[in-house]
Amino acid sequence: MTATTLKRRDFLKIGAAGLATTAVAAGMTRKQHGAADTAETSPHRWAMVIDQSKCTGCEYCTMACRANNDVSPDISWTRVIQLESEGTKDVFLPIPCMQCGDAPCVHICPVSANYQRPDGIVMMDYDRCIGCRYCEMACPYGARSFNWETFEGENPAVPTWGQPEVERRPRGVVEKCSFCYQRIDRGLAQGLTPGVDPAATPACVMACPTGARMFGDLNDPNSIVSQALAENPSYRLREDLGTDPRVYYLPVRDTNKEGVTCSNNA
Amino acid sequence: MFKQRLTTLAKPFTWWVIFLVVLIISGLGAAALIFIRGLVVTNLTDLVPWGLWISIDLSSIALGAGAFLLSAAVYLLKIKRLQPVARTAVFIGLIGYSMAVMTLLLDIGRPDRFWHAVAFWNVHSPLWEVTMCVTFYLTVLVLEVLPMFGGSDWMQERWPNLAEKLQSIHHFAPIFAVIGLGLSLLHQSSLGATYGVLKARPIWYRPGLPVLFIVSAMAAGPAMTVLASHIAGRLTPRAIIKPELLDQVSKFVGWVLVAYLYLRFWDVLAMSYTYEPARTEGLNMLTQGPLALNFWMGEIFLGILLPMIILLSDRLRSQQRLHLLALFLIVGGLVAYRWDTNMVGQLVVFNYLPQGLTPQYTRYIPSLVEIAAGAGVIAYGLLAFTLGVRYLKVVNHEDVAEEDVPVPQVVMAGD
Repeated sequence: MTATTLKRRDFLKIGAAGLATTAVAAGMTRKQHGAADTAETSPHRWAMVIDQSKCTGCEYCTMACRANNDVSPDISWTRVIQLESEGTKDVFLPIPCMQCGDAPCVHICPVSANYQRPDGIVMMDYDRCIGCRYCEMACPYGARSFNWETFEGENPAVPTWGQPEVERRPRGVVEKCSFCYQRIDRGLAQGLTPGVDPAATPACVMACPTGARMFGDLNDPNSIVSQALAENPSYRLREDLGTDPRVYYLPVRDTNKEGVTCSNNA
Repeated sequence: MFKQRLTTLAKPFTWWVIFLVVLIISGLGAAALIFIRGLVVTNLTDLVPWGLWISIDLSSIALGAGAFLLSAAVYLLKIKRLQPVARTAVFIGLIGYSMAVMTLLLDIGRPDRFWHAVAFWNVHSPLWEVTMCVTFYLTVLVLEVLPMFGGSDWMQERWPNLAEKLQSIHHFAPIFAVIGLGLSLLHQSSLGATYGVLKARPIWYRPGLPVLFIVSAMAAGPAMTVLASHIAGRLTPRAIIKPELLDQVSKFVGWVLVAYLYLRFWDVLAMSYTYEPARTEGLNMLTQGPLALNFWMGEIFLGILLPMIILLSDRLRSQQRLHLLALFLIVGGLVAYRWDTNMVGQLVVFNYLPQGLTPQYTRYIPSLVEIAAGAGVIAYGLLAFTLGVRYLKVVNHEDVAEEDVPVPQVVMAGD
């Protein structure tokens, strides 16, 4: 994956060498967003694991997300789709932003409003987005929503489902799930562990009444997500596209033996 | 006095201008509504975020491609006799690119941030490259058109000094031709690549799109120039045309259509083997679904085959009505191709479900507001050309010698 990315980058740079300005631009792009990041490199690689055998489709995650991220009732940063029933049990598929390791939206955004933090979170710069909606075409997961009109007035999800922690987006920009970066960053600053301490963990994970969502650091072999992935078969959406999603799913299995499934009791 | 006014009113020209101005005013009204209420007044959705306006944008850029081709022919290949045709093409190019900028300003959610692509670069984005090229090329086109203003009678009467300065810009025409050629080759194809690099949309994800975009533009751009010149020549004595000059361009267009048909044939045929989710559904939508009439009639038969035969046969082309029909069909075929390409990748909804290969479809029909705003932009283009023919003599094939005169003088003055 890394090898191909490097090759293409090199190819692009060589191709653009004729235009001296292009090289300057590449440096400029990196610098601009490097400054916004907490560090050039990060020891963390955040990921989410969703256990489909536990998901009941209650959409508490969607509501908690709307409150904490001040999302309009017309938009869902994390949708819950019902798949066909398997036996007597309904199967659901919650879809947040996949926080792709090789994100199509980051590659194609004409103004670099999409960028990736060193810890892997794909961010949106809402002050820079021009609302061209090219990223909506490029995202294979339909994770993005455009603000077709201004979200005015009270947020119906507040205060029942939580309090807004980030600024509301203006009309005319595209928005999406951010793995609740604000909770992660604030938590880390307080010495908390995202995925373990509630205040440092994404709102949807905390809101899930059945513990179907897990969050943590893939670089830490002892984290909840690393262990869940080590102990269970898992899959990601459209892995064939090479997007390297950071959202993993534990599929529903016919016999769910006690003790095999990972719990989220931390 | 009253009688004179009546005769002015009775002229078809007056009615034509009134018609266009009405369309422009309704378009401005629609644009105001869009800027005040936001894009919620359109029928665009998160599944179909690019609609009618993007099709107009793509089409007007492609139809402006005559500018770079004819400039290159005159100033790089030294086919000097085509110089007056290049003049028309450059004027149409400026109209086309300014139309594209207008539709883009309507389309983006934050038109106040239109300059961000120039300030915040992402060299990996085809859309960034297109934006930069269009910005630079629009500048080049303005510089190429300024001498036409300098050459107009009213400018020479009122501000003779300024007129002379503007005309002297024409001295740099060969440089503009080189820059224009480079920029156009880049962005005309990158517009196809804008779609072609999106792996999430299998019907788009192929290397053929950039090639098809530039080849179709190389056919339709000059066709637009010749068509507009002929129509102007028939309707007003202010436009003086030499049909034999335009004929040479038409013949070139005929041969480009051969190349376009060849590439399009292999492009479509190669996609038709074995099932691939979303790509096959998209192809079926084109060949037998809701876009089939557009595809087979608009794009292939009427847009390529028929005009290709007419333009390449000396006997058929010499009949002026058939000749004009062929050019008109090429322009229509280009618009159909851009519309179909933009639509087909969006109407088949991408598939991210783990086990779901079942295709899903969505719909898009532009809203009245979108149509009114789009019609306003097109009316602006038609009005600009009409006024250009009337006041700037943009279609005048007997003006060659005059234009070349100031060139040596400027050089002397510079020394």
